[in-house]
Amino acid sequence: MFDFAFMLSTMPAIFKAMGTTIWVALVCSAGAAMLGFAFEILRRSGKILGGAMRFLIDFIRSTPILVQIYFLYFVLPQYGVTLPALVVGVFALSLYYSGYLAEVFKAGIDSIPRGQFEAAQSLGLGAWDITFRVVLPQMLRAVAAPMGNYFVSLLKATPYLAVISVPEMLGAALDIGSQTFRYPEPMIAVGLIFLALALLIAQAVRWFELRLLASNKR
Amino acid sequence: MSFLAILAGIWGGFGVTVKVTLISLAYGIPFALVLGILQYSAAGWWRAPITAVIEFWRSSPVVILLFVFYYALPLAGLTLGAMTVGTLVLGLNIGGYGSQSVRAALQALDRGQFEAGMAMGLTRIQTLTLVELPQALKAMIPNFVNLLIQLVKGTALVSLLTLADMTYKAKEIAQVTFDPASAYVGLLLSYFVICYPLTILGRQLERRFGAGMESSRV
Repeated sequence: MFDFAFMLSTMPAIFKAMGTTIWVALVCSAGAAMLGFAFEILRRSGKILGGAMRFLIDFIRSTPILVQIYFLYFVLPQYGVTLPALVVGVFALSLYYSGYLAEVFKAGIDSIPRGQFEAAQSLGLGAWDITFRVVLPQMLRAVAAPMGNYFVSLLKATPYLAVISVPEMLGAALDIGSQTFRYPEPMIAVGLIFLALALLIAQAVRWFELRLLASNKR
Repeated sequence: MSFLAILAGIWGGFGVTVKVTLISLAYGIPFALVLGILQYSAAGWWRAPITAVIEFWRSSPVVILLFVFYYALPLAGLTLGAMTVGTLVLGLNIGGYGSQSVRAALQALDRGQFEAGMAMGLTRIQTLTLVELPQALKAMIPNFVNLLIQLVKGTALVSLLTLADMTYKAKEIAQVTFDPASAYVGLLLSYFVICYPLTILGRQLERRFGAGMESSRV
């Protein structure tokens, strides 16, 4: 039978692991945004480099995150790169979402009026200044909403890291399950906590989006 | 094991991957259409339970849903096989996302379409099926293709429930041959070959129907 008291007793351990989940989600969000922006800028520069980046982005988007995690975790050590599971996990999630964010940034950069580039060039700004002082600030406004959605999605992808035993929330629940031989209660507990967390953050993104819309109208 | 033999071993799981995808679609597409239409046409407090069902399926991380239903359903006296649980969870999760495309596409239609249908004496149902849905379908298609890619990639998760799909086969091969590099490179390539044409198709459809920035969340 379902044991409600037991479920409550699993909560503290799962809440403790929530720190790792949130921390990982934040670091990966930042990592994915930076990598994604770099990928998109590189995709726009030169035929060969651009083609290579286009392939890399499509490859990332066309293969499962689970397999990418396995690949990085089991294959890198064969080439002498032995990293802790947490580092591999953070890298894998950042890389996966950078592919999606690159696509979002592409649409964002395309939405900047052509005149902005021409004006920047005629003012004599270099590539670096154009990228970071003209393109980036204007793009951010356009991409904030879809980027926020991907951050929520990234949060929901953190339990994938349990397969390489990163101690995030699902990992903690699986640990409790294997120690007590009772899986349902910790699983339901982690499910409820995750649902609450995801809804809360999705709501925050929506609120931010509305504020941004309001300030765009001004 | 030669690389070709490894690939052959991985594709031994292709049947299961396809089966999981198809059964999930059989759950997901009706779920998306019915709930999307209900959410679009429901007024007042009726909207709340419909939204709650949708949010449950699309805001919970799919990995967590999979484990919760796999471990917790037997407590409710329901012992379902891994295939049933896996396809049901993957299908309803992707269907939850799909319902949002359905609702958004219906909402994006000109209100005049609905009014014209009613003014011509069509019933509410006739207006929906003869006037609104055929037009909205066009706007849904790019998103549905993206969701299909998402689903195919998501099927890798059923390997965690010990279903012998491509990912499961590759894991087995990696363990037997002590050569994870070949097994996981083969697996990445295999998924790429399946999903890349869909990625291209999705991008072209998006360009044609102009979904652009609202490309679906993952």
